[in-house]
Amino acid sequence: MATNGSAPKLVNVMIDGRPAAVGAGTNVVDAAHAAGVEIPIFCHHPKLVPVGMCRMCLVEVGTPGVDPATKAPILDDEGAPVIKYFPKLMAGCTTVVSEGMHVRTGTPAVAEAREAVLEFLLTSHPLDCPVCDKGGECPLQNLTMRYGPGRSRFVWGEKFHYPKPVPVGPLIALDRERCVLCARCIRFEDEIADDQVLGFENRGRGMEIVSFSDPPLDSVFSGNTTDVCPVGALTTADFRFESRVWELESRPAVCPHCAVGCNIGYDTRHGRVLRVMPREHDAVNEIWLCDKGRFGHGFTTAEGRLTHPLVRDISGALVATTWDDALTRVAEALKRTVAEGGPAAVGGVAGATLTNEDAYAFGRFLRAVVGTNNVDHRPKVIADDSVHRFGAGADTIVHALGAGHAIVVVGLDAEAEAPVLFLSLNKARRQGAALITLSTAPQKLDRHASHLRAVPGSEATLLAALVRAALEAEYEPVDGASVPSGALPNAAVPNAAVPSAAARVLADRLADHGPAAVHGVHPVDPDAVAQAGKALASAGGVLWIYGRSAVDAGLVPLMAAYAAATGQHGRAGTGLVAVGRHANAQGVADMGLTPDRLPGHARVDDAAARERLADVWPSLPSSEPGLDAGAMLAGGVQALYVLGTDPVGDDPALDLRANGVRTLIVQDLYLTPTAAQADIVLPAQSAAERDGTFTSLLRRVQRTYAAVDPVGHARADWKVLRDLAARYGDAESFAAPSDVFDEIARAVPAYAGLSYAALGPAIRTAPTDIFLPFAPLTEARSVSYIGTRYENRHGIGAAWLTPAEATYAAGDTAAHEAVAADGGEDAFAGYAVAADDALHAAAGDDLVLIPTAILFDAGRLVASSTVLHPLVPRPFVAFSPFDALQRGLVEGGRVRVTGAGGTFEAEVVVQDGVTPGTALAPESLGIAVRAAVGGERAGRVRVEVVAAGPIERGASPTPAPRPSSSPSTTATVTPGQI
Amino acid sequence: MPDPAAVPPALPPADRLQRAFAAEIAAAVAKYPAGRQASAVLDLLYLAQAAYGRITTEAIEEVAAVLEMDPTQVRGVVGFYSLFKEEPHGRFVIHYCTDLPCALRGADAFLPRVCRAFGVPGPGETSPDGLFSVEEAMCLAACDRAPMMQVNLSYFHDLTDERLDGIVAALKAKAAAGEAVGPPFGFGSVRGVAEGVPSVEAPS
Repeated sequence: MATNGSAPKLVNVMIDGRPAAVGAGTNVVDAAHAAGVEIPIFCHHPKLVPVGMCRMCLVEVGTPGVDPATKAPILDDEGAPVIKYFPKLMAGCTTVVSEGMHVRTGTPAVAEAREAVLEFLLTSHPLDCPVCDKGGECPLQNLTMRYGPGRSRFVWGEKFHYPKPVPVGPLIALDRERCVLCARCIRFEDEIADDQVLGFENRGRGMEIVSFSDPPLDSVFSGNTTDVCPVGALTTADFRFESRVWELESRPAVCPHCAVGCNIGYDTRHGRVLRVMPREHDAVNEIWLCDKGRFGHGFTTAEGRLTHPLVRDISGALVATTWDDALTRVAEALKRTVAEGGPAAVGGVAGATLTNEDAYAFGRFLRAVVGTNNVDHRPKVIADDSVHRFGAGADTIVHALGAGHAIVVVGLDAEAEAPVLFLSLNKARRQGAALITLSTAPQKLDRHASHLRAVPGSEATLLAALVRAALEAEYEPVDGASVPSGALPNAAVPNAAVPSAAARVLADRLADHGPAAVHGVHPVDPDAVAQAGKALASAGGVLWIYGRSAVDAGLVPLMAAYAAATGQHGRAGTGLVAVGRHANAQGVADMGLTPDRLPGHARVDDAAARERLADVWPSLPSSEPGLDAGAMLAGGVQALYVLGTDPVGDDPALDLRANGVRTLIVQDLYLTPTAAQADIVLPAQSAAERDGTFTSLLRRVQRTYAAVDPVGHARADWKVLRDLAARYGDAESFAAPSDVFDEIARAVPAYAGLSYAALGPAIRTAPTDIFLPFAPLTEARSVSYIGTRYENRHGIGAAWLTPAEATYAAGDTAAHEAVAADGGEDAFAGYAVAADDALHAAAGDDLVLIPTAILFDAGRLVASSTVLHPLVPRPFVAFSPFDALQRGLVEGGRVRVTGAGGTFEAEVVVQDGVTPGTALAPESLGIAVRAAVGGERAGRVRVEVVAAGPIERGASPTPAPRPSSSPSTTATVTPGQI
Repeated sequence: MPDPAAVPPALPPADRLQRAFAAEIAAAVAKYPAGRQASAVLDLLYLAQAAYGRITTEAIEEVAAVLEMDPTQVRGVVGFYSLFKEEPHGRFVIHYCTDLPCALRGADAFLPRVCRAFGVPGPGETSPDGLFSVEEAMCLAACDRAPMMQVNLSYFHDLTDERLDGIVAALKAKAAAGEAVGPPFGFGSVRGVAEGVPSVEAPS
């Protein structure tokens, strides 16, 4: 793979007479696959460590004979080496290739072995294929048809019988009669997900798959076990008995739940989404999905969705109307506001879930048609151009990184905020990458990482200590001379990291913030910081992956400064990666949905950008930055257009009317609390209903396709905005999302050259042909080989290049040298390390409360899934064992937490790893955590015990109430009124 | 801010094992390199069986907590080995081999006599006085001296009616003397509670 430097040594083998050259260490099954020869398997899986349990891959293996006396190869009459075959069959998955090895898969001995293995595997198999969900995509079924004996010598009465499916976890059912005990599910959870929650119990014929974790199968990746299961033993809760798989129509899409951009397929039947399956993408999600992505598809149904535009009638109730009427009212209201207060009286706030096309159309409408810079999105992780300038190399594949790379995860709980990224990080770690986490809260990634725990409010000094330690190690004097020690794996790579003069400036700037300074401030050993710094300095590439907590703590400029000063950006495995909590966090920033940036991250007063946009847009807004989302919601504008975000739902105390917003237009899927305050509500299309593109956290622009028909009269956002613009006389008439994208390609330099055609299948043979290992296989074969998932036939998208990266990609040596020599000193010219906050020194009984992220939150997207909703925990606060002991807090008890901005009650959880003196509370569980700490990233709170112990001992947790299925607030929607 | 080093870990839900065998646990864990504490799982399961009387869910959870494993992994080990008992059983567990080679030497015909001698209704059951449980075993690697049985951790070979009666009497005497108060499969101080009962080691 492109990111891993030198290619492995090749070994020549001969499989059924076909020559193949495969990497050293490859096993015979994978080598045969590369040669186009199928060796049937059950327990082997190319993503897992081979175990040789099922014996299905038995083949004849021979190696060139050697004369024991002379050690010379034995040659036949024609001078060819004589192959000595092993006397017994060998398991292909646990046999590693050697030079000159010959493999025979078509001999009678092999055929007999396969028949025998299948006959034994089927001794207790119920043969219930006609009612089995796996039927039609089942390796056991396929391989039995192809290699099985045809009849069994075992009779029905001797079969073992178990009760039919038992839940092995909340989302997964186990049918033990069908299980062939291959351990793929156990090994997936252990190796890939790092959740040791599945195991075997008993032995012999009594062996079965069990989980005794609490709750059972406690893993947010459990759905993948059904994909790797080669039989129908594991099935998912949402798809059981729903449909025969051959009746499904799979529509390619990009997962809308987080910023990873996993490729998925919406499997539909009669226009209804019945399941979500992973689509293979070797640069993004490999073949995995998290349970939120797999099971969180309830939003594709009509339940609770808005179906018509709504306007206020004379009594103030929301009533259905036509699109024409609603849009005319919107245009009139906006024009009236502009006439009275100028364009600056209008503003728009969008969510980060929009497609690029919708986001671009929103910014274009507000800036080029209405003429205001009051444009923003929320929540925002990309507020400046750090990623644009110092972003990760476009060919960065996190799970391809390994020894020689360092990855620093800052202010991000990867498993909760971007689960499949967690899998990639875990794999990189297994491959030898140095993994460093820096955060205020514990997370699963800490288990195998050097974790640097910061006290809340003072994260900046810990990051400064890490950066200072790295620069110190980089400049460690050798033989009296100061030389950079950062060796690169591939010196031929342009923009090779040459620590610039800027690095010295930065090191000097941080002189007072060395590792020693963290002593007594942060709960971390200064030596650990120094060690982590050395790991950065000695790594060939340093990748910074950060989340919202890091942005809130103001850590981005320092990470950018390090990347710039050391030249560690724009190459594979180096630079910055911002992880937003929504699917298109990167894309909406690229589209310019920020008050001070135009599309392409240029400042609103940037002359070149304005010149470029003057050719594309009907008019240009002023060159003064507009208001940000907070200012707009606080009443900074008189007319507010809210698209795909729910600020009132996040802060129930927010009253936009009282804040002075006179006209409120809301465009969303549901009648959200924000929409309930609106004058005009427009029904939007869900991610499964629209065409468009998303830009992933690694800046990969990927196509998503409509899978189902829109609910009711919901319309695509770009279409709504186009029709609004037309009411202003705008001549631009986009006919399709591809037209919008073509304009994006003209407006955003980084997207230049991209088009739907370029993002589609045509790009499949890209320079880094990442599909090569699996390319020649047919779908039927690969199902047996790699488990159930879809091949990627719809293009792998393209990651946009940062300007620095683009200069050397284009071979512009002079420009590249200028960039390399630059060192980005201007990026940190005004930077000073934020002083330690006194927060952690909280006097008396106060604790510091840290709002955290949780995967299964009480948001609409999870609540709309009937199987996921029970997994949403009751609101809780996690305390360290130390504080729990001191305060007499017992797991399951209840506390009242009061901060500067509010108060809430929640259940007590005692959790190892929580820094004493702090408490963690997840946001988005229906309690006002963020508000309690005054909207900050952490704040002092008082904790009072409400109930000392568990209220209902032994009672199973009851989930938060599910939002009612019909809009019930102030709206009266009667379709007949149209 | 308190000193993080002074923070105790979260208390495990059950601690009967740790209260009974703190030193033995430390010794078992110390046999393996740091970070490989899970390797001591067999030792700790024997200890847990001694502390809890049998392998209960609490025992599994405590072993898992001590060794920082998931309970699922511990349960998998328990299920694999026949000497870990999850069901209630007598103070002495008799494994009597009825596999093919032993059967050829008359072991299967002798089984009812074994059950009668121990006062057990049949294989897989426990005597009414709670002293003896008789179980059929697959192979105990002593076919040449069948019929044979394993009482807790001690082997008894070349069984005859007379020898059987003598063994039963000796075990009952041990129990009556209050010597064999420990559970059947011990470790350390409770290892081999059937010791002292003459087992025939040399061919008769």
